[in-house]
Amino acid sequence: MGESWFRREFLTGRRLAFNVIFYGLHFFFFGYGWHSQAINTKLAALNALTWSVWTSRGAGLVLAFDGGLILLPMLRNILRVIRPKLQWAFPADENIWFHRQVAYSMAFWAMVHTTAHYVNFFNVERTQVRPEIALDIHYTQAGGITGHFMLLMMVLMYGTAHNKIRQQCFEAFWYTHHLAFFFMIGLYSHATGCFVRDTPEPTYTFTFPFYSTSGCLGYESWRFIIWPGILYFGERMYREYRARRATRLSKVLVHPSGAMELRIVKPSFKYVAGQWLFVQVPDISGFQWHPFTITSAPEDPYVSVHIRQVGDWTQALGDRLGVGPSVVANMTQAAMKGTEKDEKTGMTRGDFVEIDSNNVTLPAIRIDGPYGAPAEDVFSAEVAVLIGAGIGVTPFASILKHIWYRQKRGNLGTLRRVEFFWVCRDAPSFGWFQTLLQEVEAAQADPNFLRINIYLTQKIGEDMLWNIAVNDAGADYDPLTLLRTRTMFGRPDWMTIYGQMKQAVETGQYIPGSKSQLKTKVATYFCGPTPLAKAIREATEHHTSASVNFTFAKVCCYID
Amino acid sequence: MGNLVWHELARLVSITASICEYCFSTSIVASNTVAIRCSVGRFLGALFPQVLLDFVGGIVRNPGGIQPAPGVAVFITLIVKAPIIQILVMILGLTMIALEFSLPQVKGLAIYRSFVVRIVLLFFQAFLCILFYQGTNACLYSLIALGCYTRAQMLGEKMEVAKENRGKGGRA
Repeated sequence: MGESWFRREFLTGRRLAFNVIFYGLHFFFFGYGWHSQAINTKLAALNALTWSVWTSRGAGLVLAFDGGLILLPMLRNILRVIRPKLQWAFPADENIWFHRQVAYSMAFWAMVHTTAHYVNFFNVERTQVRPEIALDIHYTQAGGITGHFMLLMMVLMYGTAHNKIRQQCFEAFWYTHHLAFFFMIGLYSHATGCFVRDTPEPTYTFTFPFYSTSGCLGYESWRFIIWPGILYFGERMYREYRARRATRLSKVLVHPSGAMELRIVKPSFKYVAGQWLFVQVPDISGFQWHPFTITSAPEDPYVSVHIRQVGDWTQALGDRLGVGPSVVANMTQAAMKGTEKDEKTGMTRGDFVEIDSNNVTLPAIRIDGPYGAPAEDVFSAEVAVLIGAGIGVTPFASILKHIWYRQKRGNLGTLRRVEFFWVCRDAPSFGWFQTLLQEVEAAQADPNFLRINIYLTQKIGEDMLWNIAVNDAGADYDPLTLLRTRTMFGRPDWMTIYGQMKQAVETGQYIPGSKSQLKTKVATYFCGPTPLAKAIREATEHHTSASVNFTFAKVCCYID
Repeated sequence: MGNLVWHELARLVSITASICEYCFSTSIVASNTVAIRCSVGRFLGALFPQVLLDFVGGIVRNPGGIQPAPGVAVFITLIVKAPIIQILVMILGLTMIALEFSLPQVKGLAIYRSFVVRIVLLFFQAFLCILFYQGTNACLYSLIALGCYTRAQMLGEKMEVAKENRGKGGRA
């Protein structure tokens, strides 16, 4: 473990700054809410209820603040535009993380607010400061009803959003989370019951907002926090409009490894390498949008995604295209048998089969996007380290292709070298990616520009061991990947890898012509599981020095 | 994707419900016992026990709130005069939390993997919670958790055996 969880999560670097500002603001609003209630002479009657009313008002203001924040990280399109400009201020990739922090805070303050109100209403009934009983306030007035409904929706939304549940059943999470629409309406209308007032009876009016603003003395916070809600609603409408623009599935290629490659033509769709999109196939489900990494480069005339048939939606898609799981399984088996170059058909392991569109009509398709971190700043670093783990290699298909296109045009920016790492458990199942790597590798004129490092972490059986031993010696191509690059076995040791890289850069061996007094930027892009990300991040932080600046970024944040 | 494990969702909702009702029932019991004059006591004291059903035929007095009808006198005895129901709920809540957050001792028991035990406990929890003023939400959440566990039971889901018990066969 080393450092404690608390220290890592709360007390280091940017996290510390974030926590001071974030929780500082929360306590400020709590204090302000409390204070402004306590000193308000108009609300003297309510203040007779003392602490509970001050607590509920303070927590209420904090909740309004959280309610205004909760949708901000979900404004995906706006974030995509402002992200490059604000990269220095906050890691905009971590929008889901921020969404979660706001949600945790919301849960806590909701607890405080609700408890305080249980006390309030009880005491309102007991002292009869207003002629009503507690249950009336709870279940017949706007504040009580919306409050209880919001609590129930929170239980359902938080429950289904739990990591475990979301991974088991994304649909349960996705559909349940749309309760947020009603949640936000509840939030904006929570104060319309005019609970905070200077008279025993509420003063309603017949014009918007349907209560008198002179008699109802709430914070009117909805005036401020409704804007993210409106923006978000507008964004969802815009996404719907954009998704409906002309889109055509032009080709489906099936790779023997089981991956289907969908080539989609959508002229209005503009993206950069490393981004991702949502795909919807109305024939399968009219509601479900599934995220996939874009595997084509912006220079390609189509948008492609590679889909493996692992879940029920992807399998349904395979069935719809006439290449259901059973068909693909046969193809995969044939490919795994080790028929590297089949003499009869002339096919290599990486070859694909195009679906004959005479037999199957290609379904209508809709795409929404692009989203996510553009890896465009690859070209502002001297060295780019691209690390993909398992299926996390997909964004790098696009990035590598893009680099390859720019290399052909001689437009590489400051980029001098690319280190590509692929850590995977079983190489044969990613056949389609080998084809791409083969192309890119074969196109390299400068042997030092792109280095491919493939690590196979799988435990190797005896048969395979002999196979490798016999085939590897003296062969031009690696027996597993059919690349010139040799496959390495076991897990990579990131500390050593970065240590050597740093040493090589500092001594000037790594990049020809670079002077050590100039600071070299080595940008790492990673896609894969979190524990690995942590190990790599630690290695980059550990080796950053006066002359070499290692940066770290995750390029596929939609996975978690 | 697409395969919701109902008992895991149920567990989360059930934890929410149990903590919710445990906190409320504890604070009520505490407010009955803690010296009302100390400052903490005064805050908690405001959470005086109240019967949910007391509005049935009760009259509102100013000040004093609802004066329950004689028909619900039995609840007054059990909730207001002596916090019997709250104490029961407290015990139930603690049991649920021990079961769901799985204390190491509980993990070794066979009932840890039984949904039926949970369904029964949640039913009692929901029933007792609804009897007093602060328990409505906890009751509702308990019922939702109960529904999810029932679904899990119907689908024949199995609780994963705790790590320490693996390989013990039917003994744990």
